[in-house]
Amino acid sequence: MRSTNGKISIMAICLLVGIMLSVQFRTSESYGPNLRDTRVDELVLKNSSLNEEKNALSQEVVSLREKLTNVDSGNKLTTDLQEELRKSNMAAGLIPVSGPGIIVTLDDSPRALQPGGNPNDLLVHDEDILKIVNEMKASGAEAISINDERITAMSEIRCAGTTILVNWNKIAPPFVIKASGDPQLLESGLSIRGGYLEQLKSFGLQTQLVRNDKIDIPAYNGALKFQYTTPKQSN
Amino acid sequence: MWLMVLFCLVIGLFIGYQLPILLPVAVVKYVSIGVLAALDSVFGGIRAYMEDSFDNTIFISGFFTNSLLAAGFAYLGDRLGLELYLAAVVVFGVRLFQNLGIIRRYLLKKY
Repeated sequence: MRSTNGKISIMAICLLVGIMLSVQFRTSESYGPNLRDTRVDELVLKNSSLNEEKNALSQEVVSLREKLTNVDSGNKLTTDLQEELRKSNMAAGLIPVSGPGIIVTLDDSPRALQPGGNPNDLLVHDEDILKIVNEMKASGAEAISINDERITAMSEIRCAGTTILVNWNKIAPPFVIKASGDPQLLESGLSIRGGYLEQLKSFGLQTQLVRNDKIDIPAYNGALKFQYTTPKQSN
Repeated sequence: MWLMVLFCLVIGLFIGYQLPILLPVAVVKYVSIGVLAALDSVFGGIRAYMEDSFDNTIFISGFFTNSLLAAGFAYLGDRLGLELYLAAVVVFGVRLFQNLGIIRRYLLKKY
């Protein structure tokens, strides 16, 4: 018949193609199907932003260490100042705190979207979180965090496209809002009849309110920028 | 003969499954285009073999250059922000089906 050379080379190439195919199968399988297109871009973006953050943090470590040595050297003189500083830091959200309080968890509605229904009715919005946080503040909360983002005096809670930004970080449902303060006061303030939490529940969103004796609230870990503002010299 | 070809493919698949190598994520996309080109070359070779116009040099060189070119173009396309890999997918996909159709017709005529 035809040349045996041709047969042999077709067989050899088939062998090669088989190896390539199965290696490719195994690789795609081990990385999972969702890590192919969009996820990669997103992860690359996240990676670069995390790297930036890491660099900033390492610089901060250096400056903090310097400050620490300065403080240690003048220890006795500055005890009062340190106490004052700790209080200010706590108020500004610069140190992690813990204490009794409540945890409110909000999540999107488990119901499937009905034909003709508005998808916005099933989602937790920035406004919802904002109102809950406001209610917490009104009920005597001393420190608040949302998904481990500490709420400071300058923190925003804002809708940005499909996500919500807090301290310029994207957060995603479920939203865990922690507040330290008098647990009884907080609980009654939030679960008040006709209050906002009850309204959200009636919309079909998943809400949960838990009292806890020890709530850990992390520190604000972003940068403090005062580009335009300077303290006013009063004396 | 065709049983032997199929057998080789199965052995290749088996060897590939046993090999302890995994491709890095970055090249997975390009290698899959290369695999498509390689498949096209194999079917083209089988078709040429059936039409008695098989040329060993053309077959071997076509196999390697096609897969490398396809992967290279996909890579270039990604650098340029252009979905060039779609061109490779369409071209090789169409040719694959054409070759398969011709092989099928040949087999139908034969048996």
